[in-house]
Amino acid sequence: MALGEYPAEYNPKVHGPYDPARFYGKPDTPFGQVKLGELGSWLGRRSVGGIPSAISRAWWRWQHKYVQPKKTGIAPFLQLMVGSMAFFYMLNYGKMVHHRNYKHH
Amino acid sequence: MLSRLALRSVQEARPFLVAVRPTSTTAVNKATERDEVNFPRRARPVEPGKVRMGFLPEEWFQFFYSKTGVTGPYMFGVGLTTFLCSKEIYVMEHEFYTGLSIFVMAVYAIKKLGPGIANYLDKEIEDIEGSWVKYRQESVEGLKQAIEDEKKAQWEAEGQKILFDAKRENVALQLEAAYRERLATVHSEVKKRLDYQLETANVKTRIEQKHMVNWIVNNVKASITPAQEAAALKQCFADLKGLAPQSA
Repeated sequence: MALGEYPAEYNPKVHGPYDPARFYGKPDTPFGQVKLGELGSWLGRRSVGGIPSAISRAWWRWQHKYVQPKKTGIAPFLQLMVGSMAFFYMLNYGKMVHHRNYKHH
Repeated sequence: MLSRLALRSVQEARPFLVAVRPTSTTAVNKATERDEVNFPRRARPVEPGKVRMGFLPEEWFQFFYSKTGVTGPYMFGVGLTTFLCSKEIYVMEHEFYTGLSIFVMAVYAIKKLGPGIANYLDKEIEDIEGSWVKYRQESVEGLKQAIEDEKKAQWEAEGQKILFDAKRENVALQLEAAYRERLATVHSEVKKRLDYQLETANVKTRIEQKHMVNWIVNNVKASITPAQEAAALKQCFADLKGLAPQSA
């Protein structure tokens, strides 16, 4: 799938206007309902190339829920702040380890 | 965000369009193939998702509720932070205390200024959206008014037709009047000419008669010889004498 094109399964006649938060492929069992035994086959059905689109859909779902409503509050801003704080802490963890106050925990 | 609003207003208008133009050929408006069950139409929500403590989504708390009750997620958070801090996975270095101070100030600012700013921004959104809605409604009203005015102008034009009939009748009357006037003129002119002819004929007859009478009298007078005149006078004297004694 090329960058910036609609997904191959998207059909405007059936699906209506394009919604970036929706998955237009064949529906599969949600991850919360997958049994432990089927986990391997479930993961096999997923493809690696679909990861960027999954991230994009997750981002759009978050946006639809917190940023796009007419009367949003400070919540999405705080969530982005906390998220970026955690992310950058993880990136800089190597440096942070050296600033520990105690030697034995 | 404005593009989403535009998309949403188009989405809202679309069902109306489907009802008005069922034979539209736009692919997206065909109601027959549209899968409304699995892919329902999206509408822009008014309120965002619920969060606790400013950023934690409500769904996480609901997820814990069935297993651990109300305090479950809080205990989980406390336990997690204790673990991170005690094992010094989360190092409390000098930046941390800076962040803590900023955090306290931010919480105070949000609690104090949040509702005021929220109300102000909501009012601004209402004004902007209201102006769009008002513009659309006012243009619809203006067009309806234009339709009414157009109908009135058509009705007035029909009134013009009656006016034309009246004017036509007026013109016909004027023509009739002119015709009659000219007829009277003709009549009088013809009568004048005929009178003239009559007068000339009368004059001629009278003159002829007078001339003839004069001529006859003169001729008769001329033809009376003196002998006849004396005889006539004698006769007259005799008649007078004869009459005179009878009267006395």
